[in-house]
Amino acid sequence: MLNRIVKTREFIVFLILVALSVIVGLINPAFFSISTVFDTLRAAIVYFIMAFGVLPIIISGGIDISFVAIAAVTSFSTHMLLLKLGYEGGTLLYYLIACTMGLLAGLLNGFLVTRFNLPVFNVSLAAFTMWYGFNLFFIGATANFDLPAGTVGYYARFIITARDPFVGKTGLHVSIVYVVLIGLFIWWMLKYTTIGRGIYAMGGNREVAIRSGFNVPFITLVTFAIMGVLSAVAGVTQAFLSRYFNPVIFIGQPLDVLAAIILGGASITGGRGSVIGTALGVLLIQVINRALILTGIPVQWQRLVVGIILIVFTSIPALQERRARRIGHTTEAA
Amino acid sequence: MAEEILRAEHISKRFGGVIALDAVSLSIHKGETCCLVGENGSGKSTMIKIISGVYTPDEGDIYINGHHYKRLTPIEAIREGIQVIYQDFSLFPNLTVAENIAINEQLASGKQSVNWKEIYEIAKEGLAKINVSLPLDAVVETLPTADRQLIAIIKALLAKARIIIMDEPTTALTQREVQALFRVINELKEQGLSILFVSHKLNEVVEIADRTVIFRNGQKVLDQEARGLDIGTMAFCMTGRKLDTSAIVFSEVEEAAAPLLRVENLTLAHGFFDVSFELKPKEVLGITGLLGSGRTELALSLFGVLPADSGRIYIEGNEAKIRSISDAARYGVGYVPEDRVREGLFLEQPIGDNVIVTLIDRLVTKLRLLNSKAKKEEADRWIKQLEVKTPSGELPAKSLSGGNQQRVVLAKWVARSPKILILNGPTVGVDVGSKAEIHELIRNLAGQGMGILLISDDIPELIQTCHRILLMRAGRIVKEFQREEITEQALNAELVASATTNAP
Repeated sequence: MLNRIVKTREFIVFLILVALSVIVGLINPAFFSISTVFDTLRAAIVYFIMAFGVLPIIISGGIDISFVAIAAVTSFSTHMLLLKLGYEGGTLLYYLIACTMGLLAGLLNGFLVTRFNLPVFNVSLAAFTMWYGFNLFFIGATANFDLPAGTVGYYARFIITARDPFVGKTGLHVSIVYVVLIGLFIWWMLKYTTIGRGIYAMGGNREVAIRSGFNVPFITLVTFAIMGVLSAVAGVTQAFLSRYFNPVIFIGQPLDVLAAIILGGASITGGRGSVIGTALGVLLIQVINRALILTGIPVQWQRLVVGIILIVFTSIPALQERRARRIGHTTEAA
Repeated sequence: MAEEILRAEHISKRFGGVIALDAVSLSIHKGETCCLVGENGSGKSTMIKIISGVYTPDEGDIYINGHHYKRLTPIEAIREGIQVIYQDFSLFPNLTVAENIAINEQLASGKQSVNWKEIYEIAKEGLAKINVSLPLDAVVETLPTADRQLIAIIKALLAKARIIIMDEPTTALTQREVQALFRVINELKEQGLSILFVSHKLNEVVEIADRTVIFRNGQKVLDQEARGLDIGTMAFCMTGRKLDTSAIVFSEVEEAAAPLLRVENLTLAHGFFDVSFELKPKEVLGITGLLGSGRTELALSLFGVLPADSGRIYIEGNEAKIRSISDAARYGVGYVPEDRVREGLFLEQPIGDNVIVTLIDRLVTKLRLLNSKAKKEEADRWIKQLEVKTPSGELPAKSLSGGNQQRVVLAKWVARSPKILILNGPTVGVDVGSKAEIHELIRNLAGQGMGILLISDDIPELIQTCHRILLMRAGRIVKEFQREEITEQALNAELVASATTNAP
């Protein structure tokens, strides 16, 4: 059992994460502070949520980039609507309205893919462009900083607080609880429901999944619905953490999220991927970010470093295959 | 005779103008292994699809377990206990053994939640049914073909199969794995299951069949107890002709000429060891052996795909260092791969473009742009010369039949005028008629001065084309047959001998 865990991609990512932290900590001891841990997690929250949302689509063999646009359009239009109505309450209504919109937006993608058999990437590219355009044209082109009274203090609501020798009082934001709950839900759904196994089956061999009797169109709809709802959660959470609503939030981020998922062991062609791997992938990218800041390397290097790690990871299976080819006997086909 | 489970009576099926099956009857009895034998295009696949409900016959009746069907649907066939194991096994490569085995039951139960304990129990129960052990936690894509086949068989059993149809089940198996499969088949038989074993490998049929049925050109030409039936009779029934090489004109090998290719002590780890031979101009040299004997690795080494670890290769007397495909091409070595669809053709591209792709560097204008006139002339010349049957070279390669596709692959390499041409299974999946024509073509190419290495385990093919044959076993050349020693019996005997000793 232990032997198998050690061989997994998740474990390798975990090791890199630990090694990187140790190195950075040795260069700059400030990295080993409680506030670094809390800040890194806080920065990762919305990426965890978005990555968990897209993961089922990736495992099923699909792809999506529109999730960032859905996060933007649902959060921004919910806010502008409630602002107009003079809403002064808490965050719950924000989440409810945005999630409903996200559900509909996700289902629209899923509907186009399943009903008309459109290529999934084209649909998501169209939705990506369309929702940002919709936001800017119909809802508003400038960021909005007027938060309802009930939500103003939310950015500093902590689940635990600690005293940090460098920065004083510091805390971990409550929305980390959402991350854990969502992660558990996706993990459970993938592992313990027939739909979840269908998602893996589709990614492994779509044709056989259909022949075996999985309801492939329905499963596709479910994956897109999950993506839509979780994108909305991420969008609203991001706005409250940063205390403003931005119509083009995340517009440059979809590939960072996909990179995190793939770093965590998911296969872009489907069939492989896990919640724990995805979480580690998101964390790794955040730690790289922070490590660059703390070691004084310009933060522009972040993408280069992530890119290099991705290339190394991607080439491992290909190299293994080449070695297997040289061994010959096993690859001969009659 | 045991109770009849399935009877298909006077089944006819036409596709357009082609008659695939012509009033053919087939019956399967409880607890027997029935072997269905025939060449490609003989109608055996059509028959499988009819008795599993995929095709509806134009005429005829099907009786299963006493129920009469005029048209059978796939669902009805499954309910009657007919399970087909196709060559792709219908498995999920990314899931574990346990889940692959249990997934149908999970779906059939209609449950929305997954109980992993139950999945493992179902899988264990399945493994027990055929007395094999497989690692339940292993991901299927990491397993060898033989194990995947066992999983497919177990899935069929769990679906309450009464007849299991295996379509060319031994194609990708090593000899030892074939023996293991036969043990499983015998086990199933003892449990009262019936097996329809579809194959064209006669030595296997002799070993496993209780009853043998042979199809040729959509008709049944033989249906009898397997005992006493020999390979020669079956081969005759399959092809409708005795193998007669007396009418074949072989090119005169220039014995005095210096060898085109000389290989000395060539070795590739895990592939082949200490291989030495010579190839003269105008000679067709056969290399045969079973799957895993190293024959394909040897071919790939000479073509630079799997460069050898040690040993020397001489081409026209000069030492040749072949480390890559472009090295091989520079030395005048051409290679026609076994899997023409995956490795030999651009299926979506025009036939003409497929032909000239190896000479594209010679068909350019002064500005290094493609000269489309020269391109078309060259393509048309080769299409004509190799008699590719197509109305136009502009059509995509996928519009051609298997035999004609193979000609295009040949044309592609012949067009480059190689000195040495390596052919790997040149007629795999090609119908009988085209096969004879391709053999003729191979002999003609040799006659023009080329040296040809023919890798094949198709004995009639070797007999009809080769001047000499080398037999490989476990990576070594173990026997050489001269032209006058080559007979079907001798080759068969040696191949079967390899089969029993090949296990490492």
